Amino acid sequence: MNGIRLPIELTAASVVTIAAILILPHVLELFALINATVYVSMAVLALSLALVWGFGGILCFGQATFFGLGGYAYAVAAINFGDTVYAVPVAIAVPALVAAALGYVMFYGRISDVYIGAITLTLTLILFNFVNSTSGDQWRIGAAPLGGFNGIPSTPPLNMPGDPGNPLPPEWIFAVAMLSLLICYIIAKLILRARFGRVIVAIRENERRAELLGYDVRAYKLGIFVIGGAMAGLSGLLFANCVFVSPTMFSLFYSGQIIVWVMVGGLSTLVGPVIGAILLNLLTTWAGTLPEINPSLILGAILALAVLVMPRGILPSLATVLGRFRGARGMT
Amino acid sequence: MTALLATEHLTMRFGGVVAVDDVSLAVADGELRCLIGPNGAGKSTLFKCLTGQIKPSAGRILWRGQDITGLNSFEIARLGVGIKTQVPSLFDGLTVLESVRLALRRQARERVARVQALATLERLGIVELAQHLVVLLAHGQRQLVELAMVVAPEPDLIILDEPTAGMSAEETTRAARVIRALNAAHTIIVVEHDMQFIRAIAKTVTVLHQGRVLIEDDVASVLADRRVQDVYLGKTDVSWQVVA
Repeated sequence: MNGIRLPIELTAASVVTIAAILILPHVLELFALINATVYVSMAVLALSLALVWGFGGILCFGQATFFGLGGYAYAVAAINFGDTVYAVPVAIAVPALVAAALGYVMFYGRISDVYIGAITLTLTLILFNFVNSTSGDQWRIGAAPLGGFNGIPSTPPLNMPGDPGNPLPPEWIFAVAMLSLLICYIIAKLILRARFGRVIVAIRENERRAELLGYDVRAYKLGIFVIGGAMAGLSGLLFANCVFVSPTMFSLFYSGQIIVWVMVGGLSTLVGPVIGAILLNLLTTWAGTLPEINPSLILGAILALAVLVMPRGILPSLATVLGRFRGARGMT
Repeated sequence: MTALLATEHLTMRFGGVVAVDDVSLAVADGELRCLIGPNGAGKSTLFKCLTGQIKPSAGRILWRGQDITGLNSFEIARLGVGIKTQVPSLFDGLTVLESVRLALRRQARERVARVQALATLERLGIVELAQHLVVLLAHGQRQLVELAMVVAPEPDLIILDEPTAGMSAEETTRAARVIRALNAAHTIIVVEHDMQFIRAIAKTVTVLHQGRVLIEDDVASVLADRRVQDVYLGKTDVSWQVVA
């Protein structure tokens, strides 16, 4: 059964991606298309935490660390290299390496879950404060000024491969973001289907038993943490292409929101967090247009309601309702 | 002949408390050894030392003559040691088949692992539970699922920590039968305190008391020993001129 389901799921995801790439640029205005690209980058970020937390069981409160590092690494490399295509591997490698170093200390040091949450959150807040304090001409990497509170407003967008003078238009950036999301989804699916992913899920279920079966839990956790870090870096790169990089990428606002997207969408699913990220971002944008009421208040109320009504998240709850509906139809 | 698993002067201190005190024992290939003792005798601490969950303060643990002191649990498991804990340690969110398959997947390919997992479930009489979620199973079934995960990779040595904990008299008798049957193919160490169970399964028994080896002999001699009776009946004036 599972053998049939995977190709169907991957085909469905590919069809949705291609349809979005072909249709949305024609129906959305430029501003809305750029917003949509931001939402897709957020979806990649949610997917990264879905792997690390939902399947790996590592509650990383600081996924924004890798998001911010990906964005800054891209901006700095793009400004220095000229050809922004070469900045892409840098934006993925830098957060992955930081995740590897941090993960090594945490997992090989046998640090418990609660402290992992505290350490990752602290790191992102340290980076937030640090990057905020990098205004002034002395804070530059090569030709790229870090810009302190203002970030790097001159973050160049991706260009046509081999043609640095020809930046990609927003429609193409949107297509790149959608394809990145699809690739991340396929990678996540394949990882979870492989032995590595199954062991990761087993470790989430019972770390001690996995170890007693001969699996080096530390190495597996490190592996999924690094993959999550790399994906979050890619999401930072996409975000940098729509907006620009600034210290807010490391802020508590993002760190907290990513967790909410995954929770509301459905922990232990891949599509759920993607839907959660897009829906909640749409909602936040809409709430921002209401003059009379604070958008955070509406968002907070909806989150509280979602957790009360659908504690397992949107996607698992929908699946349950559909299952009951089918069951009821089967009986009549 | 070199013992399969041996300890030499193994000691575990927690601050001022000596939980395991200079324990030397040797378990031969094919043996069924019981480690018994009343509460606080140091059985669980010794179990944790042997399975790599804690590192001993002094002494050595030898596997086929090779020093394995301080290895991690996963490294000890990889030597060919199957470990069953007192409270079943299971993957609650997975199915029974997937759990046993995971026990085999470290060495075997997916398809082989599936066939072997089903064969193990068949052997333990729980093949009908293959597709059940582990979390939904009753206590006795959970014990059997953990046992299936432990025996599936055909380990050289199986260490069982209080396998009859929480079992009814009938289940205990059945567990004794299963353990005796397993001993045909595996060396087994059972950590227990239930004397009835020991009587039903044991050949050689090591009795621990206050962290030290009180006596090591065949089951009949151990049960007849006055010091063992004193320990189990609660007297404390036990002489320490012992050790087999």
